[in-house]
Amino acid sequence: MDYLYDNTFDGLLTCIYYSYYEDTAKGIYPQDNYQCSLVNPSRIIITDPILSSRVYAAIAQKISSTALKQVYYVFLSNHPCKENLILKYLQLGFKFGRKIESFHTHPDVLPVHQTARKVSFEAHRFFGLLRFAETGDFLYASLTPDHNILILLADHFADRLAMENFIIHDQKRATAVIYNKKEWYLTDFTKPDMLSITEAESFYQHLWLKYFTHIAIESRKNKRLQNQFVPQRYRNNLVEFTNSLLSD
Amino acid sequence: MNTMEKLAILTDAAKYDVSCSSSGVNKKNKGGLGNAKSYGICHTWSADGRCVSLLKILLTNYCIYNCSYCVNRNHNDIPRASFTAREIADLTIQFYRRNYIEGLFLSSAIEHSPNHTMEKIWEVLDILRNEYSFHGYIHVKVIPGSDPGIIHKTGLLADRMSVNIEQPTEQSLRLLAPQKSLQALFTPMAEICRQITQTSEEKKKFRRIKRYVPAGQSTQMIVGASDDTDLTILKATETLYDRFNLKRVYFSAYIPVNEGPNLPALATIPPLLREHRLYQADWLLRFYQFKAEEIVNPQFPRLDTDFDPKISWALRNIHLFPLEINRASYEELLRIPGIGVTSALRIVRQRRLSPISYDNLHKFGVVLKRARFFLTCQGRYYGGIPIETSLIRQALTPQPQPLQLTLF
Repeated sequence: MDYLYDNTFDGLLTCIYYSYYEDTAKGIYPQDNYQCSLVNPSRIIITDPILSSRVYAAIAQKISSTALKQVYYVFLSNHPCKENLILKYLQLGFKFGRKIESFHTHPDVLPVHQTARKVSFEAHRFFGLLRFAETGDFLYASLTPDHNILILLADHFADRLAMENFIIHDQKRATAVIYNKKEWYLTDFTKPDMLSITEAESFYQHLWLKYFTHIAIESRKNKRLQNQFVPQRYRNNLVEFTNSLLSD
Repeated sequence: MNTMEKLAILTDAAKYDVSCSSSGVNKKNKGGLGNAKSYGICHTWSADGRCVSLLKILLTNYCIYNCSYCVNRNHNDIPRASFTAREIADLTIQFYRRNYIEGLFLSSAIEHSPNHTMEKIWEVLDILRNEYSFHGYIHVKVIPGSDPGIIHKTGLLADRMSVNIEQPTEQSLRLLAPQKSLQALFTPMAEICRQITQTSEEKKKFRRIKRYVPAGQSTQMIVGASDDTDLTILKATETLYDRFNLKRVYFSAYIPVNEGPNLPALATIPPLLREHRLYQADWLLRFYQFKAEEIVNPQFPRLDTDFDPKISWALRNIHLFPLEINRASYEELLRIPGIGVTSALRIVRQRRLSPISYDNLHKFGVVLKRARFFLTCQGRYYGGIPIETSLIRQALTPQPQPLQLTLF
């Protein structure tokens, strides 16, 4: 039996619930691009927050809170069959309990650990690589990450820039975290056309660019090393790599 | 002179300082701007591949000293500039808001007197912390020779402090920086160390006590300006860790900026590989439970340039190998070239549940290219050659890349 869910974490956990108490799931797939097969019957699962919260609590209790975190990070990844990774990991986890974390090389555990690591690494990277620009009423930052890490950035920046209004915009997924000096929320978002930066903003961008070019030591120049740390795909949103006005 | 020009001059003057880490302290934002994460955050990487985490800048590059290796010495004819305390504070806040930086790394040349300079540094911190309620990371350089009282009140506001000792021995320091002495540099270091220990002891009893320099202190040594061997440098490093409880000792490959009788010629290429090897050795000291005399000794006073220090150590101590992955202790696993802290921890955790086979080893993150010569797995040796120093050394030496012949 293939279970189809609605792309939410709650939906995924509801599938796990049904897989445990009713038919064991052979695979879990997103509803919107599922290819029907003649061999496997499929079933659309309606997301039920009560059931999902029971599974959520069960993972934390019967496996461990680290395992729960791993599962959530994998869910945020862009791995093409992340649902099945999670399914297998949890099936094993409910058998082994917290020991599963130590079983690093197990074929059902290793891909989960690796994927979760990639997601958390990218989130960590964007703690640094995000660039805000002043637009008058709020600070605006956009990014195009590989994984859906927006929600992992929210708490960090809400604490750091507590006295500011800001929007962090994931251009790839057309979502944004919006913070209003009190709390943040995640929402669908498209970039408004009239977004323009203030005069002070362009002054500080120029200062930053000046600083960035001058801090490099000429006799130690190492572009390859720089490329390793700042991959080309992230550079479109970085002031110091797009703005070549001052690169002398 | 406008801000842009000043920024350019004082960045150029500050860039030879190595340290740029923003790690070591977790802080929440208490009603203002900024916080800090103990793992540290890098914000970008400059053209030389070094990370930019803090706004690294000098308050001024007017200097009364004439240290021969330094770009800012008073004999040099270079553009000079000074920031006011408020200018630096504003710049920090504006960069920080835009998430360009993790905080401020403030240093200074010595204008008028050490006390005057240190007082000005304190002023910047005072504005940032008390007026702007800034809770981000601040690293300050201690100006040697300034009053303990000023250093103390600066330390209450900073996250990390550092005194650069520049040279591992008194003799080489005297040659290059005649106005400085190691003893004068050690005094503030010892004092900061004492304060840190004291406040962390008090912290255990009284929760509300403010920690002094919570991210600890660090220092920096220049490599290649004098003829000190790696043995001297690593011995000094180890002593510094033991004596002053330093978080980091940074090494900086000497980049010739001045001409002088006691200095390498201007055309000297910075010893980047040597610096790299010293950092590798430093990691062995800090995370791999090595002692300095194991890495270098009077017989081998210099680090091998062809191999990393751990392989060199293993090749000199080949009688200790091979080690059995399933039985060796954590400390022994760390000694195997190609196994690091992460993979050793994973191995130790997993082998409680099931024996570890050779096929799985690479999944732990073990680099088998190096490790296979030094281990056995379930009793079998996979190196393929007898365990002899010369043979393993040969197998580990990188082969020259074959060249594609041209067709015509």
